[in-house]
Amino acid sequence: MKKLVCSLGLLVACLLFFAACDNSRDPAPAAGSTGSTTTPAAPAASPSAATPAAGAARPFEITFWTALTGKNAEALQELVDKYNSSQDKIRVQAVSQGNYWENGTKLQAALVSDTYPVMTMLEVSQVGEFGLRGALADLAPYFTAVERARFVDGLVKQGVMDGKFVAVPYNRSTPILFYNKDMLRAAGLDESGPKTWDELRSFSQKISDPPRNIYGFECPVDIWFIQAGIFQQNGSVFTSDMRRTAFQLEAGVKLVAFWQDMVKEGSMKAPLGQDYNSWDVAMDDLVTQKVAMIFSSTADLTGLIEATDGHFALAAAFLPAGEKRASPTGGAFLTVFDKSSDEQKAAAVDFIKFLTRADNDAQFSKATGYLPVVKDALDEPVLKELYARHPQYQVAYDQLQYTQDIPPIVGFREMSIIIQEELKAAMVDTSVTPRQALDNAARQVQNLIK
Amino acid sequence: MRFFRSHAALLFLLPALAGILIFIIYPIAYSFHISFFDWDMISGKKTFVGFGRYEHLLGDPKFIQVIVNTVVYMFSMVAVTVALALFLAAWLNKSSLVHNLAQTAIFTPHIVSTISVVLLWMWVMNPDIGLLNYVMEKMGVDRLLALFGIKKMMWLESRTTALFSFIVIGVWKTLGYNTLVLLAGMQSIPGQIYEGAALDKASSLRKFYKITVPLLSPSLFFLLIVNVTSSFQTFESVNVISKGGPLNSTNMMVHWIYQTGFEFYRISDSSVGSVLLLLIIGLATYSNFRLLSNKVHYQ
Repeated sequence: MKKLVCSLGLLVACLLFFAACDNSRDPAPAAGSTGSTTTPAAPAASPSAATPAAGAARPFEITFWTALTGKNAEALQELVDKYNSSQDKIRVQAVSQGNYWENGTKLQAALVSDTYPVMTMLEVSQVGEFGLRGALADLAPYFTAVERARFVDGLVKQGVMDGKFVAVPYNRSTPILFYNKDMLRAAGLDESGPKTWDELRSFSQKISDPPRNIYGFECPVDIWFIQAGIFQQNGSVFTSDMRRTAFQLEAGVKLVAFWQDMVKEGSMKAPLGQDYNSWDVAMDDLVTQKVAMIFSSTADLTGLIEATDGHFALAAAFLPAGEKRASPTGGAFLTVFDKSSDEQKAAAVDFIKFLTRADNDAQFSKATGYLPVVKDALDEPVLKELYARHPQYQVAYDQLQYTQDIPPIVGFREMSIIIQEELKAAMVDTSVTPRQALDNAARQVQNLIK
Repeated sequence: MRFFRSHAALLFLLPALAGILIFIIYPIAYSFHISFFDWDMISGKKTFVGFGRYEHLLGDPKFIQVIVNTVVYMFSMVAVTVALALFLAAWLNKSSLVHNLAQTAIFTPHIVSTISVVLLWMWVMNPDIGLLNYVMEKMGVDRLLALFGIKKMMWLESRTTALFSFIVIGVWKTLGYNTLVLLAGMQSIPGQIYEGAALDKASSLRKFYKITVPLLSPSLFFLLIVNVTSSFQTFESVNVISKGGPLNSTNMMVHWIYQTGFEFYRISDSSVGSVLLLLIIGLATYSNFRLLSNKVHYQ
């Protein structure tokens, strides 16, 4: 009997303890909030939010799944905290789910079991996967024409599909040409970098010295550079109705032949390793001065500036032009699930508008190296100062006028892996003709088009 | 009370059984369920297609290649690691400083995490700056290869050698564990048997075949089952090194299941793959028991 009383007492004590813990999760009242719950376009307009004294009302909670880690996740969390303390109506809880693919895996399961977050970050190809299947909310009703016009054109395009505005650009990136100015100067070449494919090749020929393991140019055989090359030759990856492959046509052949010829003559190094491993190889080779020019993402800019500082002059330029200029974009968008309630959608949009406010976007862009997504962010002093100090950032931003991307299509990631694999094999074994490699890929990709 | 007495064991097992039911039996059954549907988890569309996905996948040469890769990898791994481990264990079954050091060296890879092993080997096998090609060049092996028209060993980068390279890495990683198990088995064989054989002037080779191997058969059988299962389940090395490439040449079942279900969002196909993998492993284990269990000696 005594034992029973003891254990019951212990149980009650435990319950009380947990109840107390739960209470302590109530947010601290926001002091001196400026409030911007519904109309961020006119920040100081809603003083009602700044009256915590009225307040026993609990804030409305929304969950936000992110796919950032480390320094970038911290930069985002800083803004989340800033938002939460700026008003007391909505409280955003950001949860990092690892990388884009881990996040996608969990989202898939969450959608089935109805435990999905209100909003999430989605990588470009995922926006297509989720958006085309109707899982994402149309945000068009929440944005005025003026608000939508603020977004950088080249970055917002992919967020629109089937006439719906399903994704707001956020942590976006684009590839640029990084080069070692010192190596170009030593070879007596134009220090502003190659402007065209022909210049890229002639520059590389001058710099390369295969016996010493020095190469002019290196670039991962990635869908980014494959699509860029095809667009630059006036080709396209799919037909305009997205029903047939088109990358195996003339423009694709030109691209693969160009790369293969450079590999054969020893002026281009095709980086080894699969997937992102090959990006690291290319960057390593640039930093250790084994290669003079590489294509890589603007997201690597901050890291490359740090790694090369004091060793050599790192410069950036537009991707060299073929028949015309074209550059792809990548990175991620902010999206809201269509299954969320109207109240949740409105709250999420409010938070998205906060994140894409010029000052906040500029702050995030500076901290992470991702591109600013709204035009007015460029007027912010933080970015002005950064761009003056490191003009490479300006290059990336200016290149956005030439962006051209593959329209969303279901199964894009699987398709891009097939294309990359076939073309990569043609770089390792140059006896495979460009046409063979492209036709092999086209046949498999065509089977995947639904 | 009688009920309680006769079913007490069941009652005590209940917590463990519940765990197995919820976390193992239910998911397996549910995989079977999903594999008969065409289920798009993102849009929520779910239609019954019977064996439709099975037919589709078994007619897909890429998927067949994945099964072949997995089976080739499994057979090579088991054959090489068990055979090598047997000879190493026979050699190590003595106590001296050299043997103890060798034993430690052989066992070490087993302790190191797969990811570290894989990263190490990616460097070792790098065609340009890797240790392996450097050593081969210094030893003049590359000139030998040139006679066969091979300019440079591409190891993990070429579709013809990538799976072989995976086997090399896998063998290096598992050899130590297998050796240790066999060594322990050997040390538990009573010395008198060898003494008796020595009195009969049996050669050491004969002792090995007539005494060591039969008395080791429980350990060998155990290794066979464990190695077959674990080779079928290879995932980390594929995911870190190759993602199945180049050209699908190193894609294996578990990685394919992961990629298809979670990266390509084709959860039904992925479930079909899981079901087939379960059947293949089940079949392999069953035939192992059927063919070999009467050949295994238990003392």
